[in-house]
Amino acid sequence: MNNRIKEFRARFKLTQDELAKKVNVRRETIVFLEKNKYNPSLKLAHDIAVVFSSKIEEIFIFD
Amino acid sequence: MKRAIIVFIVAALVLVSVGLWISSSSEAFKTFDVLSLVVIILVVGFALYIGFRRLTSAKRGEPAEDEMSKKVLLRTAAWSYYVSLYLWVAILFIKDRVTLDTEELIGAGILGMALSWVICWLILNFRGVRNE
Repeated sequence: MNNRIKEFRARFKLTQDELAKKVNVRRETIVFLEKNKYNPSLKLAHDIAVVFSSKIEEIFIFD
Repeated sequence: MKRAIIVFIVAALVLVSVGLWISSSSEAFKTFDVLSLVVIILVVGFALYIGFRRLTSAKRGEPAEDEMSKKVLLRTAAWSYYVSLYLWVAILFIKDRVTLDTEELIGAGILGMALSWVICWLILNFRGVRNE
Protein backbone atom coordinates (compact mmCIF):
# COMPACT_ATOMS: atom_id res chain seq x y z
CA MET A 1 0.00 0.00 0.00
CA ASN A 2 1.35 3.42 -1.02
CA ASN A 3 0.25 6.80 0.22
CA ARG A 4 0.33 10.48 -0.70
CA ILE A 5 0.72 11.86 2.83
CA LYS A 6 3.87 13.84 1.97
CA GLU A 7 2.14 15.45 -1.01
CA PHE A 8 -0.97 16.34 1.02
CA ARG A 9 1.16 17.59 3.89
CA ALA A 10 3.00 19.95 1.54
CA ARG A 11 -0.33 21.12 0.06
CA PHE A 12 -1.70 21.89 3.54
CA LYS A 13 1.66 23.38 4.67
CA LEU A 14 1.91 21.06 7.67
CA THR A 15 5.11 19.75 9.23
CA GLN A 16 5.43 16.11 10.27
CA ASP A 17 5.28 17.27 13.88
CA GLU A 18 2.06 19.21 13.35
CA LEU A 19 0.37 16.34 11.53
CA ALA A 20 1.48 13.92 14.26
CA LYS A 21 -0.09 16.15 16.93
CA LYS A 22 -3.32 16.50 14.96
CA VAL A 23 -3.78 12.74 14.66
CA ASN A 24 -2.32 12.01 18.13
CA VAL A 25 0.64 9.83 17.13
CA ARG A 26 4.42 10.13 17.46
CA ARG A 27 6.36 11.98 14.74
CA GLU A 28 8.22 8.75 13.97
CA THR A 29 4.94 7.16 12.91
CA ILE A 30 4.39 9.88 10.30
CA VAL A 31 8.01 9.41 9.10
CA PHE A 32 7.43 5.65 8.72
CA LEU A 33 4.09 6.21 6.99
CA GLU A 34 5.67 8.54 4.44
CA LYS A 35 8.44 6.02 3.76
CA ASN A 36 5.81 3.28 3.29
CA LYS A 37 7.36 1.32 6.14
CA TYR A 38 4.16 1.17 8.14
CA ASN A 39 0.54 0.47 7.21
CA PRO A 40 -1.81 2.47 9.43
CA SER A 41 -4.91 1.20 11.17
CA LEU A 42 -8.26 2.16 9.67
CA LYS A 43 -8.71 4.70 12.50
CA LEU A 44 -5.39 6.44 11.81
CA ALA A 45 -6.06 6.43 8.05
CA HIS A 46 -9.46 8.00 8.75
CA ASP A 47 -7.98 10.62 11.10
CA ILE A 48 -5.38 11.57 8.48
CA ALA A 49 -8.09 11.80 5.82
CA VAL A 50 -10.14 14.09 8.10
CA VAL A 51 -7.11 16.39 8.63
CA PHE A 52 -6.69 16.67 4.85
CA SER A 53 -10.47 16.93 4.25
CA SER A 54 -10.19 14.08 1.75
CA LYS A 55 -11.34 10.51 1.31
CA ILE A 56 -9.13 7.66 2.57
CA GLU A 57 -8.73 6.25 -0.97
CA GLU A 58 -7.41 9.61 -2.22
CA ILE A 59 -4.53 9.46 0.28
CA PHE A 60 -3.90 5.72 0.52
CA ILE A 61 -3.42 3.81 -2.70
CA PHE A 62 -4.12 0.09 -2.49
CA ASP A 63 -2.12 -2.02 -4.96
CA MET B 1 6.08 10.13 31.90
CA LYS B 2 5.23 7.70 34.70
CA ARG B 3 6.60 4.76 32.68
CA ALA B 4 9.79 6.67 31.86
CA ILE B 5 10.39 7.21 35.58
CA ILE B 6 9.80 3.49 36.24
CA VAL B 7 12.36 2.64 33.52
CA PHE B 8 14.93 4.95 35.15
CA ILE B 9 14.28 3.44 38.61
CA VAL B 10 14.69 -0.14 37.29
CA ALA B 11 17.88 0.84 35.42
CA ALA B 12 19.26 2.48 38.58
CA LEU B 13 18.46 -0.64 40.64
CA VAL B 14 20.21 -2.87 38.10
CA LEU B 15 23.27 -0.59 38.13
CA VAL B 16 23.35 -0.60 41.95
CA SER B 17 23.13 -4.43 41.93
CA VAL B 18 25.99 -4.62 39.42
CA GLY B 19 28.01 -2.24 41.59
CA LEU B 20 27.41 -4.43 44.66
CA TRP B 21 28.36 -7.55 42.67
CA ILE B 22 31.61 -5.96 41.47
CA SER B 23 32.55 -4.61 44.93
CA SER B 24 31.74 -7.89 46.73
CA SER B 25 33.56 -10.25 44.34
CA SER B 26 37.01 -11.03 45.68
CA GLU B 27 38.14 -13.17 42.74
CA ALA B 28 39.34 -11.82 39.42
CA PHE B 29 36.65 -11.64 36.70
CA LYS B 30 36.41 -14.59 34.30
CA THR B 31 35.60 -14.17 30.61
CA PHE B 32 31.98 -15.17 31.28
CA ASP B 33 31.64 -12.47 34.00
CA VAL B 34 33.03 -9.80 31.69
CA LEU B 35 30.65 -10.93 28.92
CA SER B 36 27.70 -10.80 31.34
CA LEU B 37 28.73 -7.31 32.44
CA VAL B 38 28.89 -6.09 28.84
CA VAL B 39 25.41 -7.51 28.09
CA ILE B 40 23.96 -5.96 31.28
CA ILE B 41 25.43 -2.56 30.39
CA LEU B 42 24.05 -2.87 26.83
CA VAL B 43 20.54 -3.70 28.10
CA VAL B 44 20.62 -0.92 30.74
CA GLY B 45 21.87 1.53 28.08
CA PHE B 46 18.98 0.50 25.85
CA ALA B 47 16.49 0.96 28.73
CA LEU B 48 17.88 4.45 29.38
CA TYR B 49 17.54 5.27 25.65
CA ILE B 50 13.86 4.19 25.77
CA GLY B 51 13.34 6.25 28.94
CA PHE B 52 14.83 9.40 27.39
CA ARG B 53 12.77 8.83 24.22
CA ARG B 54 9.60 8.71 26.29
CA LEU B 55 10.61 11.85 28.20
CA THR B 56 11.31 13.85 25.03
CA SER B 57 8.00 12.67 23.55
CA ALA B 58 6.19 13.85 26.68
CA LYS B 59 7.96 17.22 26.49
CA ARG B 60 6.95 17.62 22.82
CA GLY B 61 3.35 16.88 23.75
CA GLU B 62 3.29 13.60 21.81
CA PRO B 63 1.85 10.39 23.22
CA ALA B 64 4.52 8.16 24.79
CA GLU B 65 3.03 5.21 22.91
CA ASP B 66 0.96 5.13 19.76
CA GLU B 67 -0.37 2.39 17.49
CA MET B 68 2.94 1.89 15.67
CA SER B 69 5.08 1.67 18.80
CA LYS B 70 2.57 -0.80 20.30
CA LYS B 71 2.69 -2.90 17.12
CA VAL B 72 6.51 -2.85 17.20
CA LEU B 73 6.43 -4.00 20.85
CA LEU B 74 3.96 -6.76 20.05
CA ARG B 75 6.00 -8.09 17.14
CA THR B 76 9.24 -7.74 19.13
CA ALA B 77 7.70 -9.92 21.86
CA ALA B 78 6.70 -12.53 19.29
CA TRP B 79 10.11 -12.60 17.57
CA SER B 80 12.13 -12.66 20.78
CA TYR B 81 9.91 -15.47 22.11
CA TYR B 82 10.85 -17.65 19.13
CA VAL B 83 14.53 -16.73 19.46
CA SER B 84 14.41 -17.52 23.20
CA LEU B 85 12.96 -20.99 22.55
CA TYR B 86 15.88 -21.83 20.27
CA LEU B 87 18.31 -20.23 22.72
CA TRP B 88 17.16 -22.48 25.58
CA VAL B 89 17.28 -25.55 23.31
CA ALA B 90 20.86 -24.59 22.40
CA ILE B 91 21.73 -24.13 26.10
CA LEU B 92 20.27 -27.56 26.93
CA PHE B 93 22.33 -29.02 24.10
CA ILE B 94 25.63 -27.46 25.19
CA LYS B 95 25.19 -27.80 28.96
CA ASP B 96 27.19 -31.05 29.15
CA ARG B 97 29.83 -29.80 26.75
CA VAL B 98 30.90 -26.62 28.60
CA THR B 99 32.58 -25.97 31.93
CA LEU B 100 29.93 -23.47 33.11
CA ASP B 101 27.81 -24.44 36.12
CA THR B 102 23.97 -24.40 36.19
CA GLU B 103 23.69 -20.88 37.67
CA GLU B 104 25.94 -19.43 35.01
CA LEU B 105 24.01 -21.21 32.24
CA ILE B 106 20.68 -19.89 33.56
CA GLY B 107 22.23 -16.41 33.81
CA ALA B 108 23.48 -16.71 30.24
CA GLY B 109 19.99 -17.77 29.13
CA ILE B 110 18.30 -14.81 30.83
CA LEU B 111 20.86 -12.35 29.46
CA GLY B 112 20.47 -13.94 26.02
CA MET B 113 16.70 -13.41 26.21
CA ALA B 114 17.19 -9.75 27.14
CA LEU B 115 19.70 -9.31 24.32
CA SER B 116 17.43 -11.01 21.77
CA TRP B 117 14.60 -8.66 22.79
CA VAL B 118 16.83 -5.61 22.27
CA ILE B 119 18.09 -6.85 18.89
CA CYS B 120 14.55 -7.71 17.67
CA TRP B 121 13.27 -4.28 18.79
CA LEU B 122 16.11 -2.49 16.99
CA ILE B 123 15.49 -4.44 13.77
CA LEU B 124 11.73 -3.82 13.82
CA ASN B 125 12.04 -0.20 14.89
CA PHE B 126 14.35 0.67 12.01
CA ARG B 127 12.86 -1.68 9.39
CA GLY B 128 9.25 -0.74 10.13
CA VAL B 129 6.15 -2.89 10.56
CA ARG B 130 4.12 -3.70 7.50
CA ASN B 131 1.12 -5.96 7.21
CA GLU B 132 2.77 -8.55 5.02
